[in-house]
Amino acid sequence: MCGALLATMAVRAPAQSAPPTSSTPPTAPDVDPMTEALGHEDARRWPQAAAAYRVLLERAMREAEGGDLIALALLGLERVWAEAALRDSVLPVVEAVLRVRPSDPVARSIQFRSLSVASREDDLRRAFEAWRRADPDDASPWREYLRTLIEMGRVRGADSVLLDARRVLGRQADLASEAAQIMTSLERWTEATRAWREAMDAQPWTETAASFALQRVPAMARDSVRAVLRDPPVTVPARRLLSTLELTWGEPRRGWDALAELARDDSTAAAMEAYGTQVEALGAWSVAREVWRTLYASRRDLTTGLRAAQASLAAGDATSALALVDELGRGLPEGERMTRTLSIAVQALGALGRAREASERVERASPLLDDSTRADLAPLLVSAWLRVGDVARAREVAERAGALDDDATLGWIALYEGDLAEARRRLVRTSALASRDRALTDALGMLARTRVERSDALGTAFLALARRDTSDAIERFAALGRSLPDVAPVALALAARLAGTGRTGDVAMRYWGMIATDHATSPEAPEALLELARAHARGGDRVAAIARYETLLLDHAGSALVPQARRELEQLRGQVPPARQLEDACAA
Amino acid sequence: MRGLSRLGRWAGHAIAMLALAVAPLRAQSLLVPMDDAQRNHLKAYGLAFDAIKTSQRAEWFLNYRGGSFLLPDAAALRRKATLDGVSVTPVTDAQVAAIRAELVAANMDAVVLERVPRIAIYRPVDQPPWDDAVTLALTYAGIEFSSVWDDQVLDGELAKYDWVHLHHEDFTGQFNKLYLAYRDAPWFVAQRQRDEATARKYGHATVPALKKAVADNIRQFVERGGFLFAMCGATESLDLGIAAFAVDMTGPFSDGTPVDPDVDAKLDWARSFAFKGARVEVSPYVNALSDIDGHQVNVPARRQPLGAFSLFDFSAKLDPVAAMLVQNHRSVIPDFYGVTTSFNKAVLKPGVTVLADEQGAPWVKYVHGDYGQGSWTFLGGHDPEDAQHAIGSAPTDLSLHPNSPGYRLILNNVLFPAAKKKPRKT
Repeated sequence: MCGALLATMAVRAPAQSAPPTSSTPPTAPDVDPMTEALGHEDARRWPQAAAAYRVLLERAMREAEGGDLIALALLGLERVWAEAALRDSVLPVVEAVLRVRPSDPVARSIQFRSLSVASREDDLRRAFEAWRRADPDDASPWREYLRTLIEMGRVRGADSVLLDARRVLGRQADLASEAAQIMTSLERWTEATRAWREAMDAQPWTETAASFALQRVPAMARDSVRAVLRDPPVTVPARRLLSTLELTWGEPRRGWDALAELARDDSTAAAMEAYGTQVEALGAWSVAREVWRTLYASRRDLTTGLRAAQASLAAGDATSALALVDELGRGLPEGERMTRTLSIAVQALGALGRAREASERVERASPLLDDSTRADLAPLLVSAWLRVGDVARAREVAERAGALDDDATLGWIALYEGDLAEARRRLVRTSALASRDRALTDALGMLARTRVERSDALGTAFLALARRDTSDAIERFAALGRSLPDVAPVALALAARLAGTGRTGDVAMRYWGMIATDHATSPEAPEALLELARAHARGGDRVAAIARYETLLLDHAGSALVPQARRELEQLRGQVPPARQLEDACAA
Repeated sequence: MRGLSRLGRWAGHAIAMLALAVAPLRAQSLLVPMDDAQRNHLKAYGLAFDAIKTSQRAEWFLNYRGGSFLLPDAAALRRKATLDGVSVTPVTDAQVAAIRAELVAANMDAVVLERVPRIAIYRPVDQPPWDDAVTLALTYAGIEFSSVWDDQVLDGELAKYDWVHLHHEDFTGQFNKLYLAYRDAPWFVAQRQRDEATARKYGHATVPALKKAVADNIRQFVERGGFLFAMCGATESLDLGIAAFAVDMTGPFSDGTPVDPDVDAKLDWARSFAFKGARVEVSPYVNALSDIDGHQVNVPARRQPLGAFSLFDFSAKLDPVAAMLVQNHRSVIPDFYGVTTSFNKAVLKPGVTVLADEQGAPWVKYVHGDYGQGSWTFLGGHDPEDAQHAIGSAPTDLSLHPNSPGYRLILNNVLFPAAKKKPRKT
């Protein structure tokens, strides 16, 4: 109230600025009021700044072309009175301006903001009606009123206003962004997606807002969002939005499908390239492979081709990777070919078990390679030889390349040779650098369970794994307990895990059973019990499954697997909804 | 004989001395903390229920560490606690004595739980247990219950039970006014056909007449000493069904006849549990039964946003029933919608005990009262862990909410009929 009274007085005596006080620096008469106002505002002298903005406003109102200055003066007054906790003081000033300029958008937006902050909803509605009367065919009053209501959290009210706007104006695109926000707040996802799509057509910068808004669409409503964004006409923004949404929903393949259907042009290629980079970062290599191969098919350039080859290799498609780098290499001078494509070719040949060929290529290229490139290639060549089980050749390559300080390479070679002491010493040093390497974790886990310094059996078991000869590795790990009793449970667990990934589920269960029976107190016992319980449950033997779960919970209460086991036990007992029930509801 | 008796006394003393000597080595009781130290609050109720069932002894320490339980230190209970992930602390008699001293000095008390309540849930027998918060809670906690439906209620079977729970059934017989939106949905058609068949079987002309008869049977169950707990739409519709026993409050879409034009004046609130003076919503197009609900979630123009409700503090020594019903490790709980979410203060009967409300709001959330020789408790809302539950929503998986304060309110109601002493009210 007090603020409003002060403001009224200011309107009635517009030219009277605040009298100078001892803290106010004297002002030169020719300083323009805008500069003066900004100076006071910077110095946080709010009353003086307000007075200067008032002077500026008064002058601007007298000028025929003073629109910009009026806006600056009003915005300045809004700021300084807000800082002085006199926010509603701006209202009488704004109303005075609106009497002369009833359609002034800045004055109207300040009026709306001030009324909403003061929770004067009836006055806000009246202000909106007045603006509408002043500009009956303009969407601006509707747009500003809708935004204000949305900011006030009055989404349902905004929804009604939007309906009125559509009835009165007969067009929607002008209000698409506001409609999108309202529908998003109301979680009417299909309409929200439609509105965002319209908004993106008219205002391309809303794409990011659309992406954030639609990310939280629940799983059960996502198909409607997909349908709207896939509807014709097929446009790059709509498909790019869909691909971004699919990524955030954990569906990179679907995201690519949305983009792959686009007609090829520069903007499509840019969208695909961005998508390829995103899926690479997520480690979705099979999708990345398709993205880069598609791009390479149209561009035929070296950089894209190399990314396609690298993605193919990471996706496990070494044959395609090799074919692609060979194709790329044919169009390059020999030196460049060696430096740009050799690394991928050696990795691909290694993965294909063609170590000799990889070695020959490196040998042929050797005169053209610098020391750094040669050092980078050595571990790849070592891996290639290990892949075919030739430990001696691997060691020879490593030593020739001067890899004596390469703990990872020499540690693995030592392990394959059965030199556990050396392997332990070297591999431990690499663990911090490769904490996600499953094979390294398995090796270190096993080495930590025995003090034996030499074991050919352990070395050959891991070498079988390096050769990707899973059947041989399973048998060797399962038999390891005979020569190394200390590692029996951990080796059996590794054998069981390997067997469980293939078509040898019964073998896996036999090994898990051996752990549960013969090594009941070992660290692997909880995992064995969990796997056995699951197998019993799958086979319909509920009693046996419950018994296994209970043994796990009672005998291994400190195990990290306890929460998982308890949840599965509750599901088996019907104490929580079955997983299928949850999935059905999500799919409905 | 005398020699033998003396020998027996000596042997008795020796055994007692031996027991004292080994006493420090093992605990005599298990304390089940119900504050934030508890890993699974909901299953702790199941453990207490098991203790009452197997050893006929448990104590509920009201207001002590969130309403903790003291159970005998039995191997079976320790096993169940471990399997269920319930936190228990073994305590000696000396430690228990110290706790009791604390209970005496503060607004706390110990209530002996000694009788396993016979529990019935009013629900179609063939319905899966995932659309009713009480069934979910009891199933998850491992507390046994039976299901009763209209046939059992009308056949007088409620007398077999101590505790009856109702969820979102519409006792006015209007199918929660879902007719307009779901009349062709297979589940709705099946429900209507089932109710019409039951009405015919018991000689009632319409489903509203059938449901009002069921409501009156439930009223009589409480009047004769039963405990009633109702949630969601059952709270409002039960009282309306009882008050409208002699008046037609339903439209032609449910019974073929128009609403009595003077329905509000003819409602007999003397018969109802919690409400008085409510106005019936007669329009078939407005998805609300009356003005009892403060939130009106299914009426877009009247729908109120959700806030949070606060549990009241009660004297554990003077008002143990109310204190039992609000035992919790949280005193402010996020609100949740239901067919009936809350109860307008203006329509509450005098004498109703308000257990929880929302500060500054014209409604309350959780109320309790006596009726005849029994008592009732109403909790608004459908599912404490699914604030906006809708038809077709995924069922709530309580293993993801083992510490749910909202679900604790339901389980407090299940356990309090097990209390030994007849509680006094302030």
